[in-house]
Amino acid sequence: MQKKKSTTLLTSALLAGGLLLAGSAMAGASPEMLSNTCAGCHGPDGVSAGPSMPSIAGMPAKHLEGMLKEFKDGSRHSTIMVRVAKGYSDEELKTIAEFYSKLKWGDAKTNPNMVEDTKVDPALAKKGKAIADKQCEKCHEEGGVKQDESTPRMAGQWLDYLLIKMADLKDPNFKVPQEKKMKEKVDKLSVDELKATAHFYASQAK
Amino acid sequence: MSQFTRRTFLKLTGGAAAVTASGLYLPSIGRAAAPRVVVVGGGYGGAVAAKYVKKGLPSADVTLIEMNEKYISCPLSNPVLVGHRDMKVQTWGYEGLKKHGINVVIDEVTGIDAAAKKVTTKGGKSFEYDKLVVSPGVELKFGAIEGFSAEAAEKMPHAWKAGPQTLLLKKQLESMTDGDPFIIVAPPNPFRCPPGPYERASLVAHWMKKHKPKSKVIILDAKDAFAKQPLFVSGWKELGLNVEWKKGAEGGKVTKIDVAGMTVTAGDMGDTYKSSCINVIPPQVAGHIAHVGGLVNDKGWCPVNPATCESTLHKDVYVIGDACAIAGLTDKDALPKSGYAANSEAKVAAANIVAALSGKEAGDPSYANTCYSILTPDYGISVAHIGGVSEGKLKITSTAISPPSADLGAGKDTFRKQEAIYAEGWYQSIMADTFA
Repeated sequence: MQKKKSTTLLTSALLAGGLLLAGSAMAGASPEMLSNTCAGCHGPDGVSAGPSMPSIAGMPAKHLEGMLKEFKDGSRHSTIMVRVAKGYSDEELKTIAEFYSKLKWGDAKTNPNMVEDTKVDPALAKKGKAIADKQCEKCHEEGGVKQDESTPRMAGQWLDYLLIKMADLKDPNFKVPQEKKMKEKVDKLSVDELKATAHFYASQAK
Repeated sequence: MSQFTRRTFLKLTGGAAAVTASGLYLPSIGRAAAPRVVVVGGGYGGAVAAKYVKKGLPSADVTLIEMNEKYISCPLSNPVLVGHRDMKVQTWGYEGLKKHGINVVIDEVTGIDAAAKKVTTKGGKSFEYDKLVVSPGVELKFGAIEGFSAEAAEKMPHAWKAGPQTLLLKKQLESMTDGDPFIIVAPPNPFRCPPGPYERASLVAHWMKKHKPKSKVIILDAKDAFAKQPLFVSGWKELGLNVEWKKGAEGGKVTKIDVAGMTVTAGDMGDTYKSSCINVIPPQVAGHIAHVGGLVNDKGWCPVNPATCESTLHKDVYVIGDACAIAGLTDKDALPKSGYAANSEAKVAAANIVAALSGKEAGDPSYANTCYSILTPDYGISVAHIGGVSEGKLKITSTAISPPSADLGAGKDTFRKQEAIYAEGWYQSIMADTFA
């Protein structure tokens, strides 16, 4: 009995120590509590209403977690997410990623909260489709609907966000980690061609 | 019985099984199952609190009481002054909240009786509550500077509550004499939107280049430092914006205002500044109703429990947004009085209200703030705060302003432009979170 009690105490102490080591002031926060703070930029339930803010609802947890950790360690460029991600422990980032992965994706095109049209240029979208079919479809299958750990959903994402990210891919000033096969494609394509694919993907729904 | 919340009811009866077994309590179940939550103020804080309480506890009877039919957003109202944005895109209604099943009442709350758990309105209505959220924003202390008043603000607008004052200042800017300085009288801490006066200075200076080329901006400041200062100061230089900032210690502190003569007097030497366009942003305290309800401390702000946003002065009353004061672990552990902080505080209060009314534990709070400032349409900067609670006090786990230009190298222009674009994206999303 005596022994058992001290083991329990030790376990509690270790647990408490572990939580403290994580450097968090939010160790006991629920997944909702942690994640709802993101809605101020990424929209209610992770479906953005801002043309430059990406929707994150329903994206694979591993993908979101990977991005968040790259922001946190500085290996992925972002204006503000690098500063935001630093406020959370790795465990909290994982919790947030899992929370949003379980929510339902919403297309920008049909977003009921949308104030302005995404301003997709139909001619550019058509040009973008031709490029995407040939260059991107092998990984970003089904017109960009397909997603997995290393492949973000493209179809129905916000245009302004996609345009910024496409330009970032070619900007030597910003670090954007890419898989080898992605980098090879990006190297081949011009900024204008990448932006045309942004118009195509933004124009997609469902 | 009708005064019982669901939580106390369940506690007293030992849970749902006992309720069913005891016919005596059955008549009260209907009332006990619909706890009443009243929210005073429908802005960045209050509207979000109402929405998230309803979302977390659909059975709750949630009433939002707001003075105005339409809400006009202060964030991004500075660009309205210089014609970059229209007032229409700053204006929001309450239809979305009504669709969520929130009872929206357009009326002014004139009394809070925390002992009787009741609020009363100018329209003669009264509302009983189990939990009350107060999100009244700020009250401008018109009398704090000699010669200034609410009437004086019709000649020297504050434009610190977006609406007619914004349009009045816009008109004055447009008609000011080219060559006169645009004078901003900036308030002491703490106040709503800490970077706001400096964003305003930047946008006006940028606008002046074309419209009032002989004019410049002079900020007469009560303070010796301000939010995002290094970024504003370097931005003014890079962008060639003619902004002169006079700190409090060096003659910036305004002591007297003469509306008839259109002058302000500042500093120990009593320097006088004259202009056809003067913007006076007075010192601030928590919104008036917080004072009426006995929710303020000796400094005029509402102390709250950092873990819950519940008032430390009255039980079952939660104060959020610009009006609240969350005690920090150190001086650096603080959230600004921003729209995003209000949104975040609203969610902490809502989670605690939902948990309390459901007889559950809310867990630790999590706070966030991001705040963008626009210097020109192509030049945005930001600050981010993330935090929680440690030892019962607010602890900021990460905070930083955007990187200095020197660190951004050749990527600087793109970075600043991206932040200006993200400011608009932030606005649309947070407004959807608030009103949709």
